[in-house]
Amino acid sequence: MLSALFQRNSVYVATVFGGAFAFEGFFDKAINTWYDNHNKGKLWKDVKGKFLEGGDEDEDDD
Amino acid sequence: MLSRTFRAGLTVKNSVRSLSSTTKTLSSYDQPDFSSYLHNRSESTNRNFAYFMVGSMGLLSAAGAKSTVETFLSSMAASADVLAMAKVEVKLGAIPEGKNVIVKWQGKPVFIRHRTASEIDEANAVEINGLRDPQADADRVKKPEWLIMLGICTHLGCVPIGESGDFGGWFCPCHGSHYDISGRIRKGPAPLNLEIPEYDFTDEETLLVG
Repeated sequence: MLSALFQRNSVYVATVFGGAFAFEGFFDKAINTWYDNHNKGKLWKDVKGKFLEGGDEDEDDD
Repeated sequence: MLSRTFRAGLTVKNSVRSLSSTTKTLSSYDQPDFSSYLHNRSESTNRNFAYFMVGSMGLLSAAGAKSTVETFLSSMAASADVLAMAKVEVKLGAIPEGKNVIVKWQGKPVFIRHRTASEIDEANAVEINGLRDPQADADRVKKPEWLIMLGICTHLGCVPIGESGDFGGWFCPCHGSHYDISGRIRKGPAPLNLEIPEYDFTDEETLLVG
């Protein structure tokens, strides 16, 4: 199964580079989720309601 | 003769091999036991594993290199505080009479209109007391032939379309606000005239917005 990727160098390199893009997205998401979880209650988006009384303004463009 | 030597060599080799494989039994010394390092996986499994590890490392380095380059490039981009203070310079000589030009200033569209004499007269002829947001044309321009305003509908922030609408000015397609040739609201839901940004004419030909 895996060996199909290793048969040709072009396929191999393309897989590696494509995987790098996919990995970057996944990694960013994972780290962000972890960071948000780790700092829950301290982030601006969590405390925003306390400082901006009267709810959030609708920034709908239309 | 030759074949004999060959055979002899082979024999010697074989004997050596057989000796080495049985060293343990022959030797009186303790030999290390390598059996735990040996495996019985096939050669192709082994090779695939090596390729997989090499590829994974390549993947990680590629992702790292990409993000390094990205960080470096984005560090050269203008920072938010610089962008917030940004000014835009426009050469007015390139705008013929009766034409609109839209420039981007601090992320917002700015309408510049080179008004004709009849348009200036039309803007001045309007009875301002009847307007929703009464404002004389003279208060909205520094030079009557140049109308400069933010291209954001005061209703909900759409970008109006130039040279259209019932009053020969701008028309917002979202909810149908009509602005006249001075950018004043005349019809539709918008409460205020189109906003005038800070601007200056640094010389005859140059407009500086911001």
